[in-house]
Amino acid sequence: MGETWRRTLAVGLAFVLAILGTFVFAYRAGRQARHMRKADEPIHGWMTVPFIAHAHHVPASVLFEAIGVRPQAPQDRRSVRQIARDLKRPVLELIDQLQRAVDTAEHPPGGQPR
Amino acid sequence: MNEQLLAAVSQYGAPALFGIVAIAAIGAPLPITLLLIVAGSMISQGAMSLWWAIGAAGAGSILGDQAGYAIGRWGGPRLVTRLSGLFGKRANLQAMEAKAKAWGGPGIFITRWLLSPLGPWINLASGTAGYPWHRFLFWDALGEITGAAVFISLGWVFSDRVMALSAVLGDLTWAVAALLAAIVLGYRLLAFLRRPRVP
Repeated sequence: MGETWRRTLAVGLAFVLAILGTFVFAYRAGRQARHMRKADEPIHGWMTVPFIAHAHHVPASVLFEAIGVRPQAPQDRRSVRQIARDLKRPVLELIDQLQRAVDTAEHPPGGQPR
Repeated sequence: MNEQLLAAVSQYGAPALFGIVAIAAIGAPLPITLLLIVAGSMISQGAMSLWWAIGAAGAGSILGDQAGYAIGRWGGPRLVTRLSGLFGKRANLQAMEAKAKAWGGPGIFITRWLLSPLGPWINLASGTAGYPWHRFLFWDALGEITGAAVFISLGWVFSDRVMALSAVLGDLTWAVAALLAAIVLGYRLLAFLRRPRVP
């Protein structure tokens, strides 16, 4: 009898946790989905410059120019990390430069935001 | 590691996608949903073809799943024990075997994409449980192609928001898993409470 009740209690607790988990994760998913359009897409080392340009609606040429790279034709698919290796520069420095170029293109000083 | 895989898909496209999803289907914990979303985004940028991406992702996953099933079915208890030790405990594999038998085809289908972390276990367990291979192949192919098409299409539609979309889908997967667990546990709880009491 005692053993059965212990098992029932354990299953009951697990059930409550599962219900709680459902609500927490569904709420988080819903909240993130609502803010998805406004959220800023962070720049990562694995991304290519055209990929970053597409995510931020900025011409890729602007970003290549900002980091001082002549793109390899026709579409440069090297990751930011690979470009940093080729240039022998720290990847974080390159990401920082790209982020500044994106910010400037999105909010040009004294101009209309893109 | 994940960064290198994502960079490989961005740089080499469909062949890299094929290889990575095949390895993940055998049981390596790799960020496949994010990779498929990135592939979708690359399609919208004109850097990859839609059909190549779905084909590569579908074929790679099916190949990996078949390898898992074959190990379970014909690999012998030693290899299965070693692999299940890699994934977790032998007892977990036995529990999965019971689930694979109970869920059948729809279980295989749903663990290809909606509950994909369980996929490698179900492959191995379907093999050890002796689930018919032609049925496994049918549900596997259906689930993997559905999953590839769904996630790649989502990446295509939200091509400028891949990281945000990946976070939403990650939470949604956990919500679905928790809901399914709640349903199973709810049934068990009801069965316990309805059991006649011995005075």
